[in-house]
Amino acid sequence: MLKQLLTTIALTGALMGAQPAFAASPPNMLVIGTNLTGIRTLDPAQNNARTVSELISNLYDNLVQLSPDDLKTLKPMLATKWEVSADGKIITLTLRDDAVFQSGNKVTAEDAAWSIQRVIKMGQVGSTDVALWGFTPENVEKLVRAKDDHTLEIELPQSVNTDLVLYSLAGSSIGIVDKKTVLSHEANGDFGGAWLSANSAGSGPFSLAQWRPNDVAIFNAQPKYWGGKPAMARVVARHIPESGNLRLQLEAGDVDVGQYVASGDLDALSTNKDMVIDNVPGLGFYYIALNQKDPDLQKPKVREAFQHAFDWKAISGNIMRYTGFPWQSMIPRGMIGAPDEAAAHYDYDPAKAKQLLAEAGYPNGLKKVLNPSGAPTLPFAEALQASARAAGFDLDLVPGEFTPAFRERKFEVLLGNSGARLPDPFAVATQYAFNPDNSDEARLGSYYLWRTGMKVDELNTLIDQSMRERDTEKRTEIFKKMDGIYSGMASPLVIFFQRTDPYVMRANVKGYHGHTTWSTRWHDVTKE
Amino acid sequence: MASADLTSKQESRHSRAGGFADAAPHPLTSLLRRLAGRAVAIVTTLLGLLFLTFSMGRLLPADPVLAITGAEVSKEVYDRVYNELGLGQPIWMQFFSYVGKVATGDLGTAATTGQPILTDLMTIFPATIELAIIAMIIGAVIGIPLGVTAAVRRGTIIDHIARIVALAGHSIPIFWTGLMALFLFYAKLKLVGASGRIDVFYEGLVTPMTGFLLIDAALQGQWDVFHNALGHIILPAAILGYYSVAYISRMSRSFMLEQLSQEYIITARAKGLGTRKVVWRHAFRNIRVQLLTILALTFGGLLEGAVLIETVFGWPGLGQYLTRGLQMNDMNVVMGSVLTIGAVFLTINILSDVLYRILDPRTR
Repeated sequence: MLKQLLTTIALTGALMGAQPAFAASPPNMLVIGTNLTGIRTLDPAQNNARTVSELISNLYDNLVQLSPDDLKTLKPMLATKWEVSADGKIITLTLRDDAVFQSGNKVTAEDAAWSIQRVIKMGQVGSTDVALWGFTPENVEKLVRAKDDHTLEIELPQSVNTDLVLYSLAGSSIGIVDKKTVLSHEANGDFGGAWLSANSAGSGPFSLAQWRPNDVAIFNAQPKYWGGKPAMARVVARHIPESGNLRLQLEAGDVDVGQYVASGDLDALSTNKDMVIDNVPGLGFYYIALNQKDPDLQKPKVREAFQHAFDWKAISGNIMRYTGFPWQSMIPRGMIGAPDEAAAHYDYDPAKAKQLLAEAGYPNGLKKVLNPSGAPTLPFAEALQASARAAGFDLDLVPGEFTPAFRERKFEVLLGNSGARLPDPFAVATQYAFNPDNSDEARLGSYYLWRTGMKVDELNTLIDQSMRERDTEKRTEIFKKMDGIYSGMASPLVIFFQRTDPYVMRANVKGYHGHTTWSTRWHDVTKE
Repeated sequence: MASADLTSKQESRHSRAGGFADAAPHPLTSLLRRLAGRAVAIVTTLLGLLFLTFSMGRLLPADPVLAITGAEVSKEVYDRVYNELGLGQPIWMQFFSYVGKVATGDLGTAATTGQPILTDLMTIFPATIELAIIAMIIGAVIGIPLGVTAAVRRGTIIDHIARIVALAGHSIPIFWTGLMALFLFYAKLKLVGASGRIDVFYEGLVTPMTGFLLIDAALQGQWDVFHNALGHIILPAAILGYYSVAYISRMSRSFMLEQLSQEYIITARAKGLGTRKVVWRHAFRNIRVQLLTILALTFGGLLEGAVLIETVFGWPGLGQYLTRGLQMNDMNVVMGSVLTIGAVFLTINILSDVLYRILDPRTR
């Protein structure tokens, strides 16, 4: 009996020993370990989230692009040049004539016009940015038009800063699709959406070879790409949700690039000479949201007390080391109108917070329910709960997924983080300071200021101005003014950190640059 | 034997019924009646299961619309998706329209993958079944001899080892074991693959036929792929298997101990039969049926254990699918998965019931 048992164990061992060595990824293949949760389609028009934007940006070309190290200067892509009419109403783009789709069809201005019309008519999340300029399913066909095979005209329905419009054209949702191919797969007037969810029809440097949702996406290089054949013959994005497992695979060389690696694993990888951690600044913040429908939190002194109740310095060196840097302005660092320094208006000062609470009528402190927006912000919420105790706040931390409740204004105190794609303060200001209608019925859940239940007419006016104004100096002044009002009003969105997205790479991977707007491109990636 | 048995049963029924043959139901009728009863029970169980799952889904504070659109969505898009999902209807109406569709074989579309649930299940379910079957084989091949040996050699070192194995299997979280095993066998010894069913450079070489990668690779003579896939499945299966070893060996031990104290064993031993013959020929034959039930229960447990192990190993199976569905509040995914697991449990139950009848004459 014992013999049988040992034989079984020995056989199992032999079986495992018989395996060939599990090799590292080959030199012409890039393996990205990421989280593919919730990516239901690879159609550009139906996406605007982080991971999927990267995948799409390599299947489709945009008319224009922004390089990851310069978010202010628009660069050519499918359009070689563009000009704006004197009245600022019409943008005319000239397209290159050597770009072909993976089907072999030539890329024309008609494809570009139809791609933009398609995004607006479908009205999915991909239209979020470009719809801001006033395009509707009714007017888009008339306003976005092909003059000839290589000339695209975009007429603006309202007065808008044309740089903003061009920035939105660089977003992954406005990848140009092959009109003929997509229409040949149209079903029930879906603009080919169902077919495009698991197939590609772009002119990008890669084509989709295989897609299994929540498992793996495989991309093959396009040898006839107008920008030259990519060095990587194949790119694989693999779903590895468990950070510890991802770390082991990065160390072993089976994975070249790791995304969504947890803080503890990043610490361990930072001491490994074979690894490089690239912290890419993101267009969003970590903030405390205070519901203005709550009579206690309505008091400005209570909101001000929150500014001094959080020991943000204590976590900036550990849990926030790779996911954010201290920042307290509503204008992201390095953008026009942003303060030069991490302008700290408020430090952790429990005594001051207590005094403010007492002045507001709460000499014995204040008790509130605190929620994280989701699992990633939970450690942050725990830190807030601990440091706020000394400042007179008794915060009852209830963990869970509270973004939906936040959107419905059903919360007291919430800790969240945000992201945006349009590299201009206007996009972030719209998120954080715009609220045209504070009624419950308006349900403007995409505006954070509406979620907290505050409306500031002066901010609405300034944001509107910043969208229309074409002079950069004047826009800079508008944003500075906006920032001044925001920090002076004890905003119900108390900003503490600006977001960063950490990308871990093996040191032999060159040319992989995580993009602030998530349009990370693989065309120039090489492996040494 | 069966026919003889049937005849004797009929005779006994005749005698009980005082010789009136028409008072006794026809055996076929009683079988059909039993099957009909069973079918009603199955449908009721599945309906109850669906209703429970559906209600739980509604209690979660997650928003199925945001699962599709992401948090940064305009009011217009949000409202359109909300209506597409039929979330404006009363809950009972949503539930009944779902059940109605299920009855016609339509499990709906997964919000998180954009695919019909049936399509998703056909891709992922074989991955889990493959994992569970190999885990089951490992569990049975190690667990049963270990348990039996521990019973026969009660109080010896083997017995203690078996007990430690069982204790560890009950107390160490499978998540932790998974990561430690990865660290040792993958990162340090480089014996196995780390994530998924196969290394990425073998993707696409095997055409899916059965959905079981090992079988498909073998059928198509792709032995490199077969080896690679085996290297990927062996670790998660061994860990899952280990957790079932603990349970199987503990149960085998207690069944065996019970048998070894029976009179017929004492008689057999008194007759001078060798230990091996007594244990495997006599005692083991009598615990086979009980073990079968245990193995059936274990298989269900393996599907449950797969939820965590699939996350650790990035295994694209039902466990991961269900977990993600719950996280994203994708109710179609959750209900489709629960229905599948429920159906598997019921199938196993029926199968073990049938086998029980075949193997244990006393039940006939």
